[in-house]
Amino acid sequence: MESETQQIALGLRQGDVVVLEALVEQYQSRLVRYLIYLLGSRDGVDDLVQETWLRVLERGGSYDGRLRFEPWLFRVARNIALDAMRKRPMFSLDSYEDDGVRSSPASHEPSPYTLAARTEDAERLAHSLETLEPAYREVLVLRFQEDLSLQEISVVVGAPVSTVASRIYRGLATLRPQFEEKQHED
Amino acid sequence: MKTDDHESFHRMIDEGLAGALSAERERSLRRHLDTCSPCQQYLSASNRVVAGLGGFSFEVDPTLNARVVESLRLRAQQIRAAQPRRRRWVLVSLAAFVLTMGGSFVDRQFGNLIAPVLDVQRAQVQQVLLALWIVPSLCVLLLFPLLPLLSKAGTHRKEGTR
Repeated sequence: MESETQQIALGLRQGDVVVLEALVEQYQSRLVRYLIYLLGSRDGVDDLVQETWLRVLERGGSYDGRLRFEPWLFRVARNIALDAMRKRPMFSLDSYEDDGVRSSPASHEPSPYTLAARTEDAERLAHSLETLEPAYREVLVLRFQEDLSLQEISVVVGAPVSTVASRIYRGLATLRPQFEEKQHED
Repeated sequence: MKTDDHESFHRMIDEGLAGALSAERERSLRRHLDTCSPCQQYLSASNRVVAGLGGFSFEVDPTLNARVVESLRLRAQQIRAAQPRRRRWVLVSLAAFVLTMGGSFVDRQFGNLIAPVLDVQRAQVQQVLLALWIVPSLCVLLLFPLLPLLSKAGTHRKEGTR
């Protein structure tokens, strides 16, 4: 794996567009998914994706290839998304409710989770995900979809490992009742 | 079994899913799960959450990759085009610095020799050197680094009026 990340680092240092094109092909759908989880919306995600890759081209020299590429990429995307959120105060990663749940979703349109649910369990989770605070959604997707370690997630979100772990536990605690109720019904 | 015990095992299940459970604690959890129905249900519900999270498929605009690649190529060209210009600015600034220092050196070292040869006063030699050599190269040295900023500001102004 190290040689692969070193090759990516070398390509980025040289501003090699061929390397970047391969990375776009490989990581695009994962980047889109991460940003949707972070924002809770599809609006503006394509622009953020484009901006993220341009930033990767411009600042690729700062990736040294010692860690996996994904955490570095998500960190870049997160910074760009945070800048966009600051311009649109209706979204915020900093305003946590005590139970990790927002009182009302940001929009009355069907959530991206409802539209993207492909299984019965996903459909059950869709509404809860919509109302879950972005910081909790973010760590859940990084841990269970991207398979990042706690240390890697800590790098992405810029928070201590203990905070990341605590967010994962609280995120799971918010979503779990969907299935505990089902079991009682069964 | 006490509720506190279940809670501590629930916590261990969460830690296991988060990837923060040691091998020893994992063995202890497995032993407990063999005999504890409430904790098995807790694990099952947790696993369904994780599986449910994998049940979303977000469609990506099929034109997005092409648009991204196009903008990357364009930006890479701009970056490559800007590199020689930056090198030229550095070289001109360096040359202006050497010229300024050279003018001052000539004035100090050879001013007294040049004045009698040309049959003029020392101060006149100094004025000519200042006017024709030192001040122009000093101006280039000081103003040339500002050109990129001025040209960028000009471009922004032009884009703003469009």
